[in-house]
Amino acid sequence: MAEALISDEAFIKGCAAIGAGLAVGLAGIGAGAGESGIGAAAVGAIAEDRGFLGLGLLFTVIPETIVIFGLVISFILMFAYG
Amino acid sequence: MLKPEKMVKVAVVGAKEKLEMASEILYRLNMLHIETVSEDEHFKPGSPFEKAGQASRALLQLRSYISYLKLDPSKISVKRKFKKTEIEEKLSKKLSEYQEQIGLRLDEIKKINDTLKAIETEMANLEPLKLLEISPKLLKGYKSIRCFVGLIKADPSEELKKVTSDFEIVLKKYEDIYVTAVFVRAEYGDEFLRILQGYGFKELPVPDVEIDARISELEKKKEELSKRKDQLETEIEDLKVKESELLLAIEEYLSSEVEKAELPIKALISKHTFVLVGYVPAKEFEKFKKELDSRGFVVEQLSFEEHEMPPTKLSNPGYIRNFEILAKTYAIPRYKEIDPTFIMAIFFPVFFGLMLGDIGYGLLILLTALYLKRIFKTEGWQKLLNIGIISGITSIIFGFIYGEFFGPFVIPGIEHPQEIHFLGDFLASLYAFNHGHPLFDRVEEFGVKALLFIVLMIGMIKMLWGFSMGFYNVYVEHGLKEAIYEKGCWILGVLGLVCIILGFSYNLGIFTSYPPTGFGKILPENLYVFGSTVTEARAVPLPIPGLVTGWEAGLNYFYLAALPLILIWLVIFLKAEIPKMGIFGTIMAVELLTWFGQIISYARLLAIGLSSVYIAFVINYIGLKIGFEPGIAILPVAIVIMLIGHGVNFLLGILDPGLQSLRLHYVEFFTKFFEGGGREYTPFGRVKKFIEEGGE
Repeated sequence: MAEALISDEAFIKGCAAIGAGLAVGLAGIGAGAGESGIGAAAVGAIAEDRGFLGLGLLFTVIPETIVIFGLVISFILMFAYG
Repeated sequence: MLKPEKMVKVAVVGAKEKLEMASEILYRLNMLHIETVSEDEHFKPGSPFEKAGQASRALLQLRSYISYLKLDPSKISVKRKFKKTEIEEKLSKKLSEYQEQIGLRLDEIKKINDTLKAIETEMANLEPLKLLEISPKLLKGYKSIRCFVGLIKADPSEELKKVTSDFEIVLKKYEDIYVTAVFVRAEYGDEFLRILQGYGFKELPVPDVEIDARISELEKKKEELSKRKDQLETEIEDLKVKESELLLAIEEYLSSEVEKAELPIKALISKHTFVLVGYVPAKEFEKFKKELDSRGFVVEQLSFEEHEMPPTKLSNPGYIRNFEILAKTYAIPRYKEIDPTFIMAIFFPVFFGLMLGDIGYGLLILLTALYLKRIFKTEGWQKLLNIGIISGITSIIFGFIYGEFFGPFVIPGIEHPQEIHFLGDFLASLYAFNHGHPLFDRVEEFGVKALLFIVLMIGMIKMLWGFSMGFYNVYVEHGLKEAIYEKGCWILGVLGLVCIILGFSYNLGIFTSYPPTGFGKILPENLYVFGSTVTEARAVPLPIPGLVTGWEAGLNYFYLAALPLILIWLVIFLKAEIPKMGIFGTIMAVELLTWFGQIISYARLLAIGLSSVYIAFVINYIGLKIGFEPGIAILPVAIVIMLIGHGVNFLLGILDPGLQSLRLHYVEFFTKFFEGGGREYTPFGRVKKFIEEGGE
């Protein structure tokens, strides 16, 4: 029955789209989990010394790379199959 | 420019009696970075000149006034500079005048504050007493009866009855505790007190007069005191306006006197001579030597040994100097290292603009920075705001390339610009020379693809560049072999990665696809095609089983070139690591993946920008739908939504590109070559702000 409803190509496209979404979403959760610890520590350090603000912010964004990886994967999926 | 300024190590020697004169000259020259040297049998650190004590006492007092008046020297623009002789003349007179006019007033204010506090406490104590509704006269002054008046946590009657039933208690609820008065014959007094204390009894003082009378008396007194305090404060404020510059000038004078007087601590002094050791910038050595020679001191140039580290004085021309603040946040370069400020000065604003890329937001940043520059006068702020101005300008330039003004006016799938942008038609007509398209459409699929490739190229180039500079740093310090083992092999490894990425991009058709119809075509067609020899636009499909026949379809020259590079890298790497780490070193080869990750990390240059483009697009879209027909057509609501939305997006647009651009330097670039850990060059002396130079 399923074969009659959608073609192979459409099936692959759909799976690629779901994969792209998962890549960004899951990577985002991971980055968020990573940032939470750093952010808490950075706020603590800033409470001690206001001068740490810039560096603290910077440390906090370091795990954001993971989201970028997810995004690149999703781009590649969309370019290849989208 | 790429290296910190050259330093010369010098020793200044002279007769001990002339040390005071030397301190005057050195302070004025403001060139010598003094090093602490270890003492020995004959040379010991000296003790401050006698004038130090007096000056530092006066300075302490003056600074307490300055901190009370909240005077910030960096925020005051100097109208006229004072002569040094003028200050010396006025010094003692002015100091006693300040003592009289500010010091005494401050003392009085302090006394008033103490009294006001006492009044507050007494009034707070009177409040519960009022609830008892017993005249204070009846609450004290008995001979045979003890009376306890105060606050208590619970009703103690039951417990008290166990001692004697012959007592009187008044208990009233006060907030969540009670106020009480207990009367009992004097012989039971001590026992009662013990029980009451068990209930958390806290005695309240009972006034001599009626409570209401006492309260109004206190209120009157409080009012009088507050009035006096206000008066004193306005008097001080008047003084502040009149005297602030002179006050700060005297502070400057006294602190330089103290610094000068403390020079002997840093010097080594023998029976008859003194020696000062330190560093002077090589450029200024001649001047330094001449100046001191002519006054009868001896300046000797010393050679410094390998392990010694001279202080770092960054020397960058005007525009680049602004970025020293960003580079220094990471670390101060060591004396022999490459100073990365110059590279940062070029790439930071370009990255910022590449990410934000919006004429509207860029203009806002530019104007905000220009406005704030007039308010925050400190050096750090000025530098930061200069960076803001430059970043704003690059944002405007990239905004013009991307064709964005508070959001894009071209989005794939939407025909009419006015539908998605409040100035859509106007912008489209502005770009009429390019078929109504921006120079580069970063929201089109082709644009995303091309930009992704461009930013990864930037990443690859910077990665290789970073490793090359690291190679140079190691080569200078430890020689060629170390440099190849430590950095050179990574250059090969990363080159291999670059080839893999290029091969992959080729397979995706980056080099061979023409921009689709609808993508603006201001440039000649073959410029959009990265490989200019390709005549037919086509993308080779990926070697995914089922999509093409045979795995050979995915092979290309880039992949073939990558293989030997990675192999050579692996051999050199293992040769360097295994002697150090044993067989465990093999696992360290995984580090190559880190560099792959860091190249991919440059994709944020595209990603951060795209997210802000789409946020802006959504805000505009919602705004237009709400504001006009066929939507609900309530224009004010639409305007509020758009103001708030663009405001938030603007703040994100400063914060995110700024931080990410910094991060790309600190994490992905500096780690390849920059170690830092230098000491900053801080010469003896200071630049005077309120006192005229040369007036000494």
